[in-house]
Amino acid sequence: MKDVLHLIGMYTKTTAKSWFQYRVDAVLKSLAVFLREATGIIVIWFTLLKFDDLNGWNIYEMLFLFSLLFLTYGIMIIFFTGLRDFGSTVRSGNFDRFILRPRGLLFQIIFVNSDWFAALGHGGLGITLFLISAGKVGIRWNMYNAVYYIFTVAGGVLIQGAVFLFLATLNIYLLQTNSLKGLIYWNMRKFAGYPISIFHKAIQFFMIYVMPFAFVNYFPAQYLLRKDDMSDYPEIFMYLTPAVGIVMYLIAYLFWRFSIRFYKSSGN
Amino acid sequence: MRLSPYIAYAKKCFLGRSAYRFDHIMDIISTCMQFFIFCEIYKALYGGSSEIDGITMPMITTNFVLAMGLNAVFYPDDYFLPNKIWDGSIATELLRPISFKGRMIAENLGNALFSLIFHFLPVLIIAVLTVGVSAPASAVMFLLFLLSAALGFGVLWAISFAVQMTAFWLINIWSLITIKNVFVNVLSGSMIPLWFMPEWMRGVLDFTPFSSIYFTPVQIYLGQLSYGEIALKCAVQLVWIAVIYLVGDILWKKGQQKLVVQGG
Repeated sequence: MKDVLHLIGMYTKTTAKSWFQYRVDAVLKSLAVFLREATGIIVIWFTLLKFDDLNGWNIYEMLFLFSLLFLTYGIMIIFFTGLRDFGSTVRSGNFDRFILRPRGLLFQIIFVNSDWFAALGHGGLGITLFLISAGKVGIRWNMYNAVYYIFTVAGGVLIQGAVFLFLATLNIYLLQTNSLKGLIYWNMRKFAGYPISIFHKAIQFFMIYVMPFAFVNYFPAQYLLRKDDMSDYPEIFMYLTPAVGIVMYLIAYLFWRFSIRFYKSSGN
Repeated sequence: MRLSPYIAYAKKCFLGRSAYRFDHIMDIISTCMQFFIFCEIYKALYGGSSEIDGITMPMITTNFVLAMGLNAVFYPDDYFLPNKIWDGSIATELLRPISFKGRMIAENLGNALFSLIFHFLPVLIIAVLTVGVSAPASAVMFLLFLLSAALGFGVLWAISFAVQMTAFWLINIWSLITIKNVFVNVLSGSMIPLWFMPEWMRGVLDFTPFSSIYFTPVQIYLGQLSYGEIALKCAVQLVWIAVIYLVGDILWKKGQQKLVVQGG
């Protein structure tokens, strides 16, 4: 165990060193990620200056909805950068080096690389949005909903981590899954900050059962905010986020364990 | 100046794009999905009212399909120069007996033509068949729309060109390009129709090149501008192209003297 912690420490140190090699670039990079991710927020802010509310959600409630999305991604990417970039690791043949080392494969993939700029950019944005909105949406914070909030963030992290793990595993069979990931993850994520009740039923189905962003932010926000449009969905959905996260992660992990036996090197 | 090598470059880019069919189909699906979702968002925002500030739902959907379609076509390769500086191949590029900038334009145009035929048109057809898109105000307006859209491409290209030139000094300009794209996305009207920008913001936008990229062509298409206004707005587009290109060109000349090739 001590050995493992030491290894994690070493990996983190080398990652940080390589990222901060160009210092000006490092600061600019965090700022760029922050701004790029804020694009959707700026758009909704300008839009709601004009329209006041979107299906009953005012600007602060919308910001609260967005904050969960960014906070969970910021935490998730500290651990799952290696899975996000797993496709190129396989294609370049670097994965073969991992296999030869005397440590667990998933352990290495998770700790060898962390995208700290994405973590700072997304996480910073999430915290900023939370601080702006949390006091203005009428939540009475107490022990219970604070605990609920922590569990739900953990669940949201697991859900997105499971999707990354699942898509990374697909690389073993397909070698190239970026466009698939672009379509089902990045593309949906652009709109995951909106209350899903405004969308067509097909898109709602996709966001609840296929790429369940609804459990990352919409249903947890509903638990805390209790907007009218929750009546369209079963009440139990508001409590499922941690369970969905654990189940999805387990399935993705089993899929990974099953698939890794079929790994064939891409050559080189 | 002989044109044939440039045409060859444009053709190479056009054909190169057609090799990645799966990725391309995914791109089309993703543009359609974004279009549908934006339409749904505005349907919810309108909440049943037929028009707000004189802007109707069909005008909104037309704005989105044109802006997103043009956005897919106007995709200058922001890393054309930076990549060549990064890997050192700029050194051999500068030795070739053709203009580097000419080649850059040729490749971008080849790409744009491919996207116009195989990205914009399919998306437009799907949008017309499903959500519905307004017809152009008149045949003349449609021709003026094409002209203004071409100028809009010029503005976007010039911005990309000028930003790329900073790579001579900064080497790694991913951040700068990303920040540039945030400005283009938010302020050009492809994500929020500029009619709904607050008054003060529209005042600010008049002094930036962004609204002349997609919004001017869209306004012409919908017949919102008189001939006098069209002439003025197109002149504004030309001025922006000239100014930004000149800035980029100064950087380009200075940059070549400054160029450091790190390894090869």
